[in-house]
This record gives sequence, C-alpha cells and structure tokens, in this order.
Amino acid sequence: MKIWSTEHIFSYPWETVIKAAMRKYPNPMNPSVVGVDVLDRNLDTNGRLHSHRLLSTEWGLPGVVRAILGTNRTMTYVKEHSIVDPEEKKMELCSTNITLTNLISVDERLVYRPHPENPEITVLTQEAIITVKGVSLSSYLEGLMALTMSANARKGWDAIEWIIQNSERENVPLCDLC
Amino acid sequence: NSVGEGCTDLKREYDQCFNRWFAEKFLKGDRSGDPCTEFFKKYQTCVQKAIKEKDIPIEGLEFMGPSKEKADS
Repeated sequence: MKIWSTEHIFSYPWETVIKAAMRKYPNPMNPSVVGVDVLDRNLDTNGRLHSHRLLSTEWGLPGVVRAILGTNRTMTYVKEHSIVDPEEKKMELCSTNITLTNLISVDERLVYRPHPENPEITVLTQEAIITVKGVSLSSYLEGLMALTMSANARKGWDAIEWIIQNSERENVPLCDLC
Repeated sequence: NSVGEGCTDLKREYDQCFNRWFAEKFLKGDRSGDPCTEFFKKYQTCVQKAIKEKDIPIEGLEFMGPSKEKADS
C-alpha cells in the first residue's frame, strides 16, 4: 500500500477554481480522460451539492506494467463523488477505480478551500492510497503508480489554470466553452 | 465526451445548463431549484443504457432514475 499526498496553490479565488474544476475535462493536459458522465446530482439538506460521476480513462499503462498485471485492457473506469459546500467554501472529491479492482485500487481525495490567510487564493490538498494486489513487485508497482499520479496531478493543476485563463482571455462565461 | 457515444450531444446540453446554474445561481447562494432537470432526464436515459450495454460496474453507486424527483434543499 502506498500513500501519496501533495498540496498545491492556485492564485485565483475559490469560486473561480471550482467552476473550472467542475468542467475540468476535456483538457489538453489530461488526454487520457476521454469521457465524463454525470450519474446523479442532488442537493442535501445542508445545501451542499453532491455529484456522482463516471470517468472513462485510456490509461496507457507502460507495456511492462501491463505485462506484469496480465492485462491488455486499456479503458478503465473511475467513479467520483464530489461535494460542493458554498457556505463553508469547500469542494471535496473522492474517486476510486471500478475496473481492474482485482489488480489495483487507487483511492484519491481532493479538497479545494480558500487559503486560510488569503481569500484570493485557493489551496488544493490531494492524496491517494494505492494498493496493488496479488502480484510480486507490488511495492515497486505502487511506487510507479505514485509517480504517475504525481505527474498527472501536475497536469491536473495546469489544466485548471488553462481553463481559467482561456475563459478570461475569451471573455465568455465558462459554460460557453463546453 | 460521454461514455455512450450517442449521448455526447445530450450531455453537452445538460452541461451547459448546469454550468450556468452552478456559476450564476448556486455559488451565489440562490437556492431557487435546478432548471436542468429535463435535460438531465434525457441525458440519463441515454447514459444508463450505454452503461448497461458496456457492462460498466456501477453497482453501489446511488443514482436516480429519470422518474425520481430531486430533493429540495
């Protein structure tokens, strides 16, 4: 089991960042996410918005990893539950893979909040628990996955920035770029 | 894109409606209900069918069928 966590700062207010986060895909930095579908969305009694989404990813696992894991499947699916609390200004996302679960489990959690000392910037804390099951070299593979996630996290942060900047440049409401 | 190739247009319509509501109403504290329900229903009917056809294992996820009412906040 490998635990990976990181923190990142966006130089934009929380509302701007989460509007971009809600429409993060597609983006040029994360080409492996090829599909996003909303399965359910509702408001709870505390006024928080819950969304359940299905993400389709074309992983592009390195050939050696696929050989070890014994699979040629490249399309994997991830379910994501997000909660947006507009009063507390907190957006939390939890995701986990729902395919290849007999081989690997990646549970990821992201939380976006305004910076406690500066409301004009936003802090993202991101963590993942990675477990490779039932094969030798599992800690090695978990380490590889953590590196991949770290690289993907950076791309994810660039993606949010890209979405924010593109909408500002084109001077259109974010949703018109969908 | 949608997991169901034929659903992408319905998804885009729903997404546009949602993103507008999210930015202009929800984040500004306006709780006046979701105007996107009809778009969502059409989109969901398409997506649920694609998920079944592709055998994607989403059991355990709570999801609403198209006929359920959304809870009020």
